[in-house]
Amino acid sequence: MNHFKLAVIAFRNLKRNSRRTIITVLVSSAGFAAIAIVGGYMEFTFFGLQEMTVCRGFTSSGGTGHIQIIRKDSVQKEEQYPLEYGIADYDKVQKSITGYDSNIKATIPRIEFTGLISNGEKSTSFLGMGVIPEKELMLMSYWDQIYKNLKNHSSQEMIYRKLALASPNAVLLGEGMAKALHAEEGSSLMLMGTTVDGAVNVVDVTVAGVINNSIKTVDKYYLVTSIETAQNLMQTDKVSKILLVLGNTKQTDGVLSVVSSKINSSGNNSEYSVIPWYKLAEYYHSVKDAYRIIFGFTGIIVVLIVFLSAANTMLMSTMERVREIGTLKAMGVSNRWISMMFLYEGFFIGLMSIAVGLMLKELFTFAINNANFEMPPPPGMSSTYFLKIYSGSHFLPWISLLLLLSTTCSGFLTLFKIRKLSIVNSLTHV
Amino acid sequence: MNESVVAKLTDVSKYYGNGEGRIAALDNISFNVKKGDFIVLAGLSGSGKSTLLHLLGCIDKPDKGQIIIDGQDTTMMNLEQLAPVRMEKIGFVFQSFNLVPVLTAYENVELPLLFKGLDRKKIKNRVNEILDELGLQERKGHFPGEMSGGQQQRVAIARALVTSPAIVLADEPTANLDSKTGADIVNLLVELNEKKNITVVLASHDSVVLDRIKNIVTIKDGKII
Ligand SMILES: Nc1ncnc2c1ncn2[C@@H]1O[C@H](COP(=O)(O)OP(=O)(O)OP(=O)(O)O)[C@@H](O)[C@H]1O
Ligand SMILES: [Mg+2]
Repeated sequence: MNHFKLAVIAFRNLKRNSRRTIITVLVSSAGFAAIAIVGGYMEFTFFGLQEMTVCRGFTSSGGTGHIQIIRKDSVQKEEQYPLEYGIADYDKVQKSITGYDSNIKATIPRIEFTGLISNGEKSTSFLGMGVIPEKELMLMSYWDQIYKNLKNHSSQEMIYRKLALASPNAVLLGEGMAKALHAEEGSSLMLMGTTVDGAVNVVDVTVAGVINNSIKTVDKYYLVTSIETAQNLMQTDKVSKILLVLGNTKQTDGVLSVVSSKINSSGNNSEYSVIPWYKLAEYYHSVKDAYRIIFGFTGIIVVLIVFLSAANTMLMSTMERVREIGTLKAMGVSNRWISMMFLYEGFFIGLMSIAVGLMLKELFTFAINNANFEMPPPPGMSSTYFLKIYSGSHFLPWISLLLLLSTTCSGFLTLFKIRKLSIVNSLTHV
Repeated sequence: MNESVVAKLTDVSKYYGNGEGRIAALDNISFNVKKGDFIVLAGLSGSGKSTLLHLLGCIDKPDKGQIIIDGQDTTMMNLEQLAPVRMEKIGFVFQSFNLVPVLTAYENVELPLLFKGLDRKKIKNRVNEILDELGLQERKGHFPGEMSGGQQQRVAIARALVTSPAIVLADEPTANLDSKTGADIVNLLVELNEKKNITVVLASHDSVVLDRIKNIVTIKDGKII
């Protein structure tokens, strides 16, 4: 038997029962569009999270940048004193790295340090970050350029500008910490920390601004100051790490391999580790996993609905064609060949559903993306954003395949029905 | 076994129901069909004509006895295993034609050959040959819904004959047709039987048929009389 003829029979039967076919296709394509839109929303969310991780971060150490460079020792050994394994010649290292790849748009040195902060009456511990504010602003402007539709995105930038303009010993505090110390803009506080020699050191600082950190638990310990102030406190000239900012997050892996291969073979004094942002993004991964599970369940439910609706159509179709099936059986056609006709029907329903589903998805995506729905801030964040649906082009082939499989399988289901039909009884069936 | 016997039934019985209510639709029948025979099964309604045709056509199994079709002993085979036997050796003509509604006359006739897996050219030649023979060339593009009952039955006969089966079985082929058209169909079958030596077993209580055919086997209560 040639499959072409079976396909023709299947197609003509679908046309013959056009109303039923249309309803089945509508159900399946609505399911398809629903998964595609949820998927597109998920993709949008992942992208937002990714850029958020790179630019602002979800920990006290701020945005991860695209790539971080640290000394190998700092992960292998325990430091005896602050910044023992810090990068000393960081100006030179930055210069040479910038030349490795044209996609590297900026390098940002950072210090991570801890200590106590006091207002004279009350002290609390902090997780501090020593930065060059002008350079941190590059990470911010990178954020601006990719995330134009995010609201309230510039408040943090304004505060960094303040830090840049303020006196050398200025600090930015998390909201929670400012509250605990009864500090506000202009307040004088003291930073206490250990120097590289093990002595206790104190630096007087002025509050240049209060930062509304996106993660509430970090807020209580969050402190940002200039690299000089941090170095001053610890009596060192090193930094903890150097961040690389690229033109686009997609370039990360490419630049990563270039930098990894060059950095330890170009006469630098120390061995370096090169770490991409996604290895520093626990929060990003946990949110992504959670979303994937939700998406998976939605998908399974929708596929099940599609399958049941198609199976129902198929069984109705067999019931209506009992006599035809009996005739074919009497002619000596095997049950498997007969059910193949229905398999093709399911396959065509699947194809049509994908086509219609894609159109529906495009339509809704267009409507949603142009409606500028304002979404409430995500858990633990403070800024609202506009809902967008991304194209989801990398998972669309998979859900198409799944849909096609489920409608085609529903055609296969008829085999069990066909097998049970008695030839003699079905020949005279009306 | 005699070469010219295409179907041989020996002590065949078929029962319906159980215990008290058990009835013998066919009761210990022995019966031969020879090549070139044109046999009409006659008898009252419920006498067992259709049941006998079903057993001859291998679309039902007897409860007792042996059936040999064109040299093939079917006793030990189930209905699914008998599918190739049906495809090779049997042609069916039904009371209500049973054409595939979404296929044209040509495609309906072509269908058995497609399932047999013949090559395209052979199929085309054979289908056209049979359509010519039955005067259906002008109808070949028509769907069953676009044809009269008589035309549909002609197409069904063409479909039954296209595989050159050893035996053609027809259950009340004229019952859904008016007497004139019914007579045409019977004449067609007789003509094919005479010219092509096609073996036909036909069940009917239609006088159009009974008047025309001499070789009548009458069944009563599941027995041949
Ligand atoms: N599926 C069945 N279940 C129970 N009894 C059946 C079944 N099929 C046939 N019978 C019985 O078997 C007997 C023979 O039936 P059959 O259909 O062979 O008669 P027939 O001669 O073809 O009658 P008709 O001229 O009305 O077509 C009848 O008594 C009938 O009631
Ligand atoms: Mg009957």
